[in-house]
Amino acid sequence: MSNLRLIPRLDIKGKNLIKGVHLEGLRVIGDPQEYAVKYYEDGADELIYMDAVASLYGRNNLSEIISRTVQNVFVPITVGGGIRSVEDVQRLLRSGADKVAINTAAIANPELIKEVSNRFGSQCMVLSIEAKKMPDGKWHAFTDNGRERSGRDVHEWVQQAVGLGAGEVLLTSIDQEGTRKGFDLELTRSVSEIVPVPVIASGGMGSVQDLFAVVDQGKADAVAMADILHYDRMTLVEIRDAALAEKIHVRQV
Amino acid sequence: MIPKRDVQKLYNLPSEVKFCRKCTISNQRPRITFDEHGVCSACNFAVVKRNEFDWEQREQELLELCDRYRKNDGSYDVIVPCSGGKDGSFVAHQLKYKYGMNPLTVTWAPLISTELGRKNLDSFIDAGFDNVFGKPNGVVTRKLTHLSFKHMGDPFQPFIYGQTNFPMKMAVQHNVSLIMYGENGEVEYGGDMKNAFRPTREIADHDSHYFSGLPPEFWEQHGLTRADLAPFMAPKYQDIVKNDTQIHFFGYYKNWDPQENYYYCREHTGLEPNPERSEGTYSKYASLDDKIDGYHYYLAYIKFGIGRTTSDTAHEIRDGKIDREEGCALIRRYDGEFPQKYFQLFLEYCDMTEGEFHEIIDSWRADHLWKKVNGEWALRHAVYDEEEQQGNMAA
Repeated sequence: MSNLRLIPRLDIKGKNLIKGVHLEGLRVIGDPQEYAVKYYEDGADELIYMDAVASLYGRNNLSEIISRTVQNVFVPITVGGGIRSVEDVQRLLRSGADKVAINTAAIANPELIKEVSNRFGSQCMVLSIEAKKMPDGKWHAFTDNGRERSGRDVHEWVQQAVGLGAGEVLLTSIDQEGTRKGFDLELTRSVSEIVPVPVIASGGMGSVQDLFAVVDQGKADAVAMADILHYDRMTLVEIRDAALAEKIHVRQV
Repeated sequence: MIPKRDVQKLYNLPSEVKFCRKCTISNQRPRITFDEHGVCSACNFAVVKRNEFDWEQREQELLELCDRYRKNDGSYDVIVPCSGGKDGSFVAHQLKYKYGMNPLTVTWAPLISTELGRKNLDSFIDAGFDNVFGKPNGVVTRKLTHLSFKHMGDPFQPFIYGQTNFPMKMAVQHNVSLIMYGENGEVEYGGDMKNAFRPTREIADHDSHYFSGLPPEFWEQHGLTRADLAPFMAPKYQDIVKNDTQIHFFGYYKNWDPQENYYYCREHTGLEPNPERSEGTYSKYASLDDKIDGYHYYLAYIKFGIGRTTSDTAHEIRDGKIDREEGCALIRRYDGEFPQKYFQLFLEYCDMTEGEFHEIIDSWRADHLWKKVNGEWALRHAVYDEEEQQGNMAA
């Protein structure tokens, strides 16, 4: 059994690390660089950088922040937000990113998944999904940081995208995001069960019990966390120790 | 044929359109003023608020105010107008749970409620509040909506009457002298600055600031009766005075930050944002209760060239949430987006054809703001064009 990966998620806007609730409201937390270094030193397995408003503003400017970060941080970095072309991917990889997470542009043009995967390998192509549960009980994929309904069913979409070459899925529950009420276990499990690639659960972690639940019931391969770390409710060291005590396979730091 | 309105004269709008150098608002917002550096009154106020206000002193004033009005006999001591959204809920929750007041929250019914709005109001009440819900006669409200859309260029006016007058009525009825609103929109978002440094607003300003000079009584001229209009009207002036009714703004006492109000209410009153962005803007947390409000914002776009995104970005820039470049990008993308989602419903509600709707809309287009390009209406001046020009000049 492979190790569960613990991944701090840094949502970025402009030069700032920010945090919303349900992907809405964008409170400035601080300098992303400082947080990235701290999380790396605390034993993060990977980092996710997400330009929260890149698609919204039609821009993509994380390269500079990434190239600064990789000078001091030596774990895999996934970068997402506003990526629209193979050239955008290439620029981010050159800046030091290891993987890219694509949502809005992949929904608009699913062929992009194939192009990125063929060119850089499927391990580089992370499909980012912003999922919201609809009144009929199904999950829909949203774009533009949870603002636009794409009309796509999450389960159909994830299967199509993996078929096109997505090597990993970053699955964010809009309903849980920023609430500290725990991950959407049903969503995570149902997606994990239908695709053969790793699934990173994102949105809602308020305590280590939430992490235990998303591993046990949600079948997540990795856990993205933001609020709990940014607001210093727990440190990565404490989370890792708690996971070990629960006999969850995590990397020994 | 609906006669064309002279919007510029009606609202005393400057002929030359100028955009604030700091935010995205233009000088077409009624009553706003610009200083010699081209900065709007709301931006200047935001700077003063951030740097010069002594918030500890202000909170002390709030404590004194609460003590002055506090009752200990179980009766209500403050009226809080509240829809169940982020702002009124924040005020009510703070007054009750932080400052120990006993508020009566009052809600004036939306014209056509959204499911989410009802749900949020229920969640708010379930978080521990007494609430009176005022809902006027549906036939009259529909007529008034149609009439005010046509004659005032704002279908939301019946709601604004109730939102303004119903809390005063409840204050008189329940013998409560203190009404606590959220922010003073005139001061925070640009308007008459005479109340910038005091906590209250004058009831005598209601007609000009909220009713464009046309109070509910005006509609008797259009076939509505006193009885029809009574629910929308203010209480008798002598009763307001006898009750010693005072309207205060919470934003005077505590730093007003809509985004933080959202976080607060998400946690304390069960507020849920919209599942997707509201039409005409990027935001998901504001103005969620009414299926009609899209037309209120759309009319502001037609009359003043100021759409919902312009308003939202302007105050988020002042609050330091986004910068001007982002604001311009958002305006280019969303401002003036037609509120399509409830269009059919709106037409049916007002008993109006699509043709009549567009005729009314066009009667409110100000000539100094709009021109026809290839048969389509286009703004003569857009903040993003100006931003681009400035960028090119700088480059």
